[in-house]
Amino acid sequence: MRKICFHFQISQPYRLRRYHFFDINKHHNYFDDFQNSYLVKRLADFCYLPANKMFLDLLKKYEDISLSFSISGDSIQLFKEHAPEVIESFKELIATNRVEIVGNTFSHSIASLYGKDAFMHQIKKQEKQLKEVFDVTPVSFCNTELIYSDEIGEWLAEAGYKVVLTEGARHILAWKSAGYLYCNPFQTNLKVLMRNYNLCDDITLRFQNKSWEHYPLTADKYLSFLNNIPHDAPYINLFMDYETIGEYHTKESGIFDFFYHLFVQIAERKELSFMLPQDVAKEEDSVLTIHVPWAMSSSSDEKDTNEWLGNELQQEAFEQLFKLENLYKESKNENAKMNWLRLQAADHFAFMSTKWFAETSVKRNFDVYPSPYQAFINYMNVLNDVKLQLEKKK
Amino acid sequence: MKVLMFGWEFPPHIAGGLGTACFGLTQGLAKNHVDVTFVMPKASGDEDQRKIKIISASDVELDTRYSDYFQFHKEISYVEVNSRLIPYVGLDDYFNVINQKESALLEDVKVTEKRKYLFSGTYGANLMEEVKNYALVAAEIARNEDFDIIHAHDWLTFRAGIMAKKISNKPLCIHVHATEFDRSDEFSRNEIVYNLEKEGMEAADAICAVSDLTRNIIIEKYGIEPSKVFTLHNAVIPHQKEVERVEDVPYKIVTFLGRVTFQKGPEYFIETAKKVMEYDKDVRFVLAGDGDMMNRMIERVAELGIADRFHFTGFLNGEEIDLLFGMSDVYVMPSISEPFGISPLEAMRAHVPVVISKQSGVSEILQYAIKVDFWDINAMADAIYGILHYPALANFFAERGKEEVNSLKWEHVAKKLKGIYASLLPRN
Repeated sequence: MRKICFHFQISQPYRLRRYHFFDINKHHNYFDDFQNSYLVKRLADFCYLPANKMFLDLLKKYEDISLSFSISGDSIQLFKEHAPEVIESFKELIATNRVEIVGNTFSHSIASLYGKDAFMHQIKKQEKQLKEVFDVTPVSFCNTELIYSDEIGEWLAEAGYKVVLTEGARHILAWKSAGYLYCNPFQTNLKVLMRNYNLCDDITLRFQNKSWEHYPLTADKYLSFLNNIPHDAPYINLFMDYETIGEYHTKESGIFDFFYHLFVQIAERKELSFMLPQDVAKEEDSVLTIHVPWAMSSSSDEKDTNEWLGNELQQEAFEQLFKLENLYKESKNENAKMNWLRLQAADHFAFMSTKWFAETSVKRNFDVYPSPYQAFINYMNVLNDVKLQLEKKK
Repeated sequence: MKVLMFGWEFPPHIAGGLGTACFGLTQGLAKNHVDVTFVMPKASGDEDQRKIKIISASDVELDTRYSDYFQFHKEISYVEVNSRLIPYVGLDDYFNVINQKESALLEDVKVTEKRKYLFSGTYGANLMEEVKNYALVAAEIARNEDFDIIHAHDWLTFRAGIMAKKISNKPLCIHVHATEFDRSDEFSRNEIVYNLEKEGMEAADAICAVSDLTRNIIIEKYGIEPSKVFTLHNAVIPHQKEVERVEDVPYKIVTFLGRVTFQKGPEYFIETAKKVMEYDKDVRFVLAGDGDMMNRMIERVAELGIADRFHFTGFLNGEEIDLLFGMSDVYVMPSISEPFGISPLEAMRAHVPVVISKQSGVSEILQYAIKVDFWDINAMADAIYGILHYPALANFFAERGKEEVNSLKWEHVAKKLKGIYASLLPRN
């Protein structure tokens, strides 16, 4: 029987406030507390809580159903501060034993594009947090925006991970299908699950698109899509932002009903079986190697890293940020250290993107800057102060 | 396609941006195979006539036997205007309006059958009279020239355009480079100019506005039907020579260039300077230009105690401007209301990063510029500080900005204009 793997990502960052150059070395509160609180509460009310409730109902009703989540460390912190009931609600899900919590970076970081040390530090910090909050130890890993390369895979294997979730990028797969199980060419014990992004985009991008030929999308119609892909490929991997349910598509759009019936239909028809990423960890048959010499991601159509490091501004900010790595290791200023980690979030870099068509991305919803340049200036102002703070109390 | 175009000035003898824009537009039209006959009050003979034909209104003989001539003459009222006023009107200028239904001039005309008017072609004391006479000459030209479309630039020539339309029955396109709402604040707004503008807009078959900002003013403040108002952004004429960067300047230089008047927002530049200087001792602010707010600005700089690092240059000529651009690290245009605003493009062409107000037409077409609200001095200060202190940003703008400016071509503007013309012509 073909297997279907559902994975939902939550990666809310600490959004920066407007931090002027004359605040440098004077004020060290970089975050927009109002905005962060407002957004997290809104997402909790519109998405996380009702969606969790829906999945809990489904899990209770159908014992075949299983699904997985990755929740960034920053998101967990934000929940603790502004919506602790979300954490409780996830605990209930986890208690069913059919919900897997997948590892990821602590602060939705793009450290994996910089180097091993910074990346490993992010992973370890997140593992510690997952242990503390949910009492879980992840065996699968979902990197920030599905960023992955052979090298990143090697680091993950070294960190003890058995499975990694990434993009089924066309330029990597070529004639191959995302529906097979792959492994890292150098660490063959690390299984690679590749996302079927067309099927995901049908939901995340096109669900409410009235000019789309398949509008309105129903669970039945979607099942026929699943049925139409070649049956010899054993895996259907659907990874998406959890905010798809209730935020990108509001309740009124029918997104909850869609997911509810989709899960019910899959469970009742028994043509597909639910699968968790950790289930493939011990798989040994028919595993193929996949070469990813350069980092790829789930970003727009190119599936490259240009959304975060595509222009000189982003590259400069990235370079200046990670220049502070040694300072971070030596510093005893815990506040400043935490802030340095938070500045690694992919979101800050995406706001500096000058790929003008990036506005089609659903994440632009959260963009608060009038232009990429102001995003850059603001970020650099903050970074300069973080640097001063790291230097101060060595 | 043949166009009869009415302007007020044409390079090399120009007082403002209008002449430059007319030159660029006519060259662009020529490239799009549109023939242009350009009429101006007084040509000097050294205008570039390789691509277009220029008519000097001063050389046109009027045949006063036509009855419509008298009809029009009667309707016209005279206005005397203070000489410093137009088109660069300032707060302290004033208008002196006299309605003269019957003039000595009219009697003059009755005696002879043919006469010429002499135009100064400047923005002088008898401006309104020249505007009127220009319209009379326009009638004569419209009778004799062969053309398909009439195109009139700014309110000075609207009457001429209307007259030409009356005589020829050809469609009229008027071009709005600025409105009375940009030139003045609500206390000094001139009714007569406003009425002339409105008259031209109502009579026109199509209106070209230099920005969406101006288009909205035309629709909202003049009550014009939106469907006939088109936005036609300006472009730039390719630069003959590169502006050379001046090396070894011991300070970072932030520049304002423009008339020191209310609409240009010089006071926001000064308040911003104060903010940046408090955190950066190595920066100098330069305010280049002259205008009716000059004294107040000098006083304000003294009051803030930054006169040692804030410089007033007064009016600069072309070479001096190039030199200043060559030394500048940031160019700031904090205009309160700017129909278009060509100067940031000149700065970008000289590799200078620009910070411009959102209340400018040029901000609608630029991507490689930082845009802020003119009143938001914190945002303006952040932008300036960012460019001065984060070299990646300055380099990014210097390179991409220049490319962007070079891609703004009059040829493309003219192509769009040709499309507007075509929509006005009767279908064959």
